Formats: sequence, C-alpha cells, structure tokens
Amino acid sequence: MPVLARTFEEAGLSTVLVTVMPYWAERLGVPRTIGVEFPYGHPLGRPGDSDTQMGIIREALRLLEEATGPGEIRELDYAWPQELDEAKKDWQPLEPSPIIRMMIEQRKAQRQQKEGS
Amino acid sequence: MTVDSFKFLPGSIAAYYRNLPVQREEPVPFTPLAKPLAACRFSLVTTAAVHQVGKEPPFDTEREKLEPFWGDPTFRRIPREVRQEEIGACHLHTNNRDILLDVNVALPVHRFLELEAEGAIGSLAPTSYSFMGYQMDTAEWRQRYAPEAAALMRDEGVDAVLLTPF
Repeated sequence: MPVLARTFEEAGLSTVLVTVMPYWAERLGVPRTIGVEFPYGHPLGRPGDSDTQMGIIREALRLLEEATGPGEIRELDYAWPQELDEAKKDWQPLEPSPIIRMMIEQRKAQRQQKEGS
Repeated sequence: MTVDSFKFLPGSIAAYYRNLPVQREEPVPFTPLAKPLAACRFSLVTTAAVHQVGKEPPFDTEREKLEPFWGDPTFRRIPREVRQEEIGACHLHTNNRDILLDVNVALPVHRFLELEAEGAIGSLAPTSYSFMGYQMDTAEWRQRYAPEAAALMRDEGVDAVLLTPF
C-alpha cells in the first residue's frame, strides 16, 4: 500500500495512510501515516464502533492539514479490546491462504522425504 | 515507535517480515494540501478486496489459488451511495467477517458522508476504490492500476485521499 500512497501523491493528490503496520511506512517511506495497534483487517477499529472510526479519521485529517513535509508518522493510543491470544487468531482467514497452504504442503513433503531416506 | 506492528502476527510471519530486504526510495513524494479541509474533495482507497455485489465482479481468487504467488492487481469502484448489504469481500489472507458487518472498519464511506454533512470536509467524491492487498510484485500497481485510479480521481475533482491497508 505504500506504493499506492506514493503514486497518488506523485499524481498531485494529498494522501494520508492509516495502518496497523507503521513499520512498513517507516521502512518504505510514505507521505503521511497514522499508526494504530490493531489486528490486520481493522485499520479503523471494530465493526459498529463509529466513535473510534471517526476519532481515527479526524486524527488523519489533522495530519493532512498540519504536515509540512513527507514521512511524518503519528501513532495513536487506542487499545484493542480482545485478549491477545484470541485477537491473534481472530483476524486470520478460516482456511489458510494459497501461499500458506503451499508452504505447509512443502514442509510436509520435506518431512516425509526425510523420514523415507 | 510505540505501536508494535507485529503484535498480532504469528511469530513465523513476523520473522519473515523483519528479514525482508526493502529499499526506501528517496525522495518520498509530497503534495501539500492545497485547500482547507472544509473545501477538499476526498476519495477513499482500501486494500480490503471489497466490491459492490451485482455491479462489479469480485477479485480473481481462482487464479490465486492456482498461482499462490500471484494476486489480482486490478481495482474495484465503490460508489458513495453503497449500502452495507451490497458489500462483497474475498480477501484470502484475512477473516472477512468484520468488513462484511461494517465496511467502515476499512472503507469509511459512511463516516465521510457524516463529515461532509457536518462541513468538516468539502465532500466525498462519487467514487472510492478497493484493491486486493496481497501483491508479491507491485509493478502492475505502480505502472498501470494506481495511475489509472489517480486519473479517475482527478476526473472527479479529488484533492485528498485516505488510504487504509487491510
């Protein structure tokens, strides 16, 4: 997604990225970034929680207005309400993605080969 | 940084990400906001792989299942009038339950209509955009689809964009 932000910015649009992985924004370079400590799939929080959604959006708008140069990252203080172990599982797909499935199958085949040799 | 980007990730994926060699290209582009927020037209862009059911097709997940290193690089258009029950989601790398309950967790069209109504922003553009975030190679985004989306935004008079990786 940093690629999209940078391409839009180059096209003359002002952008702000709200992300659960500000790590990538820092490493790749993004015009303006808001970081939140939420699980994947929830950059603006939980479904139905319009107060949190709006609170984060207002911070993003403020950054758009106030930033004077590229690369600023502001991190917000929202806490995710779920237990960590539960939250770590809850955002993941119900079935492994194709790439993860492929890796699991490869590992299984390697193990079988080792056991057979 | 105070936000732990790896907090909710399995250890193996976190380690993989930390070891990925990436190059930060300088300079980072920057377009200052040209107008006060109350005069700006916004568009929204997410990588949640949502689409408007019945209007545009879902993303091509069948090809990704056959070619696990490939991810559909195209985008879908989401109109400002979209209703929650029209939202479809097909990202294979996340649980899509919550965005099917409330699209505003990643594409906040309804929050932006509220901001428009209260005068905090000028307007939400007629169209917002949805991409699919699993892209091992971003060449097609860079060379084709992101410039295409930017051109559509310019045609609709967009000044500023909120982006929400999924």
